Amino acid sequence: MQRTVAIIAALASSALLLFLAVPIGKLIGSGGADGARRLFTDSELRQSLSLTAITATVATLLGMLGGTPLAYVLARRDFRGRAVLAAVLDLPLLVPHPVAGIALLLVLGRESAFGGAMLQAGLRVVGTPLGIVAAMLFVASPLFISGAREAFARVDVRYEAVARTLGDSPLRAFLRVTLPLSRRGLIASAVVMWARAVSEFGAIVVLTYNPKVASVLSYDRFTSFGLKEALPVAAVLAALALIPLTALRTLRGADDGARQ
Amino acid sequence: MIDCRALTARHGAFSLADVSFAVPSGQYGVVIGPAGSGKTTLLEAIAGIVPLVSGSLQLDGRDATNLAPEARGIGLVYQHAFLFPHLSVAQNIAYGAASAETAEAVAKRFGADALTGRPVRSLSGGERQLVALARAFARKPTVLLLDEPFSALDPRRRTLVRREVRAVHREWGLTTLQVTHDFTEAGLLGDVAILLDGGRALQSGSPEDVFRRPASPYIAEFLGAENVLAGTVRMLDDVAPDWFDGEPSPVAHGYRAIEFSTGGLTIYTVGDFPPESGYAVIRAEEIVLSALPPDGSARNRFLGVITEVATLGALTRVTVDVNGVPLVASLTTRSAKELDFRPGKQVTASFKAMAVHLC
Repeated sequence: MQRTVAIIAALASSALLLFLAVPIGKLIGSGGADGARRLFTDSELRQSLSLTAITATVATLLGMLGGTPLAYVLARRDFRGRAVLAAVLDLPLLVPHPVAGIALLLVLGRESAFGGAMLQAGLRVVGTPLGIVAAMLFVASPLFISGAREAFARVDVRYEAVARTLGDSPLRAFLRVTLPLSRRGLIASAVVMWARAVSEFGAIVVLTYNPKVASVLSYDRFTSFGLKEALPVAAVLAALALIPLTALRTLRGADDGARQ
Repeated sequence: MIDCRALTARHGAFSLADVSFAVPSGQYGVVIGPAGSGKTTLLEAIAGIVPLVSGSLQLDGRDATNLAPEARGIGLVYQHAFLFPHLSVAQNIAYGAASAETAEAVAKRFGADALTGRPVRSLSGGERQLVALARAFARKPTVLLLDEPFSALDPRRRTLVRREVRAVHREWGLTTLQVTHDFTEAGLLGDVAILLDGGRALQSGSPEDVFRRPASPYIAEFLGAENVLAGTVRMLDDVAPDWFDGEPSPVAHGYRAIEFSTGGLTIYTVGDFPPESGYAVIRAEEIVLSALPPDGSARNRFLGVITEVATLGALTRVTVDVNGVPLVASLTTRSAKELDFRPGKQVTASFKAMAVHLC
């Protein structure tokens, strides 16, 4: 009986693993080489990739700036409404991304009070890199907050308690003890957020079709010229998202080995 | 000094309720109590880590009820040390130190100077406790809070470190409060003992007082009293109980004589206990066993039969059945052997009236 269960579990796991890995492998395998070549010849692809990387980095930095205190409060403080706050922060993960884009448009578009005010101040969001950053921040920052919250929760609160009795203010204890101890988890969460931002399409396409980030360029070439033209862009985009994640997992594995 | 008045604090689902006690300036307090009684929460409430719901706290004569932990002048050592793993041993000791010289001096004093070259992760539990002690002392606190700080040390090292902590406490004039499970440690170190259970301070006073005169049968049993007997109390008319054979204790004069009956045993003591049912507590070391038969005039002297002899190293515990009531006596293993105490042997058990505590 146990053997049968083990065999079924192994088959199901293998099937899922193949289902997840094969399409990405096939994509990179089919278009990777051509994509790498086009990095030297296709200036639109180069500009699109650099726009993607820059906007994803800005969104990630903004997510870290606002998300770190939120994650800390959620991990450390017990207050009424904590569950509601956590649920609100998870909402962007649950809504379809074009819906997220429409929601952002309602707040940041020129017709809205906030968007209008920003426009008057000289800041146009829709149709600019700022819109891309906004869309990326909206859909990807919950991943950072969730990961950072776990990273803080893993640091025993008594480390901070000891630091406080040794003369540290709450902020100083956070900077000298909690932050270094949760550093790996925070970096991992930031990398996940960055990779998610890089691969975002639905919300961005509603807010800013042009200038095109890599995901929009890939879609644009697919609809305009077909699969052959879209494939190299898609393969380079997949590789771009995979590189930091793979590097992170490799580093973490090496670190775990060193600790043992 | 540490002066807690009606402290109430909540930590998750656990509450400290209405805890009051005082450890005078320069004295060493010990907190004893079963696991989960709130000992660590009490230290954390005094340290300002667990916020108070109500009550007041004075540390060294100033109101610390609402002071931030960093402003309380305290040192805190947890049982699990909580050394900062991202820092070296030397950096841990220097963290918050009053001066580099103080850090160096206390590291040397606690033998932590030999560990400074090692990463924190490689230290044993005992070594971590040494570094944690050095780190707390290096700050030169005025109040020291210790949560089972010697529990991971081997017996020899524990004795040495305990002595060193007591010495620094005395030299620096610190007020110390230590949590311990070890009654011997509580007796050795403590000027004041606080018994905590279920988040409440059940009794506080000198360790001698708490151990000899527990406030309830529960406390007596928790503190390891072997003979806790339920029975009825009757006040006698005698005022000066000189009739206690061989024991005209001046302390006894002026107290009322009391007769306490439990099962087939009637014992005599003195005190002001109200005449109703209660408990008599007699510590095993207060009961003297003799192979001779009891003489006619003695009170608290009973003929019984040994039912059990348990040797625990240098001490032996002998259980004697006296008219159906088991009395446990403690004597040296050497004496037990010399007197040939074994199950079935008839012996006389006797104890002084003042050795009986009613609660």
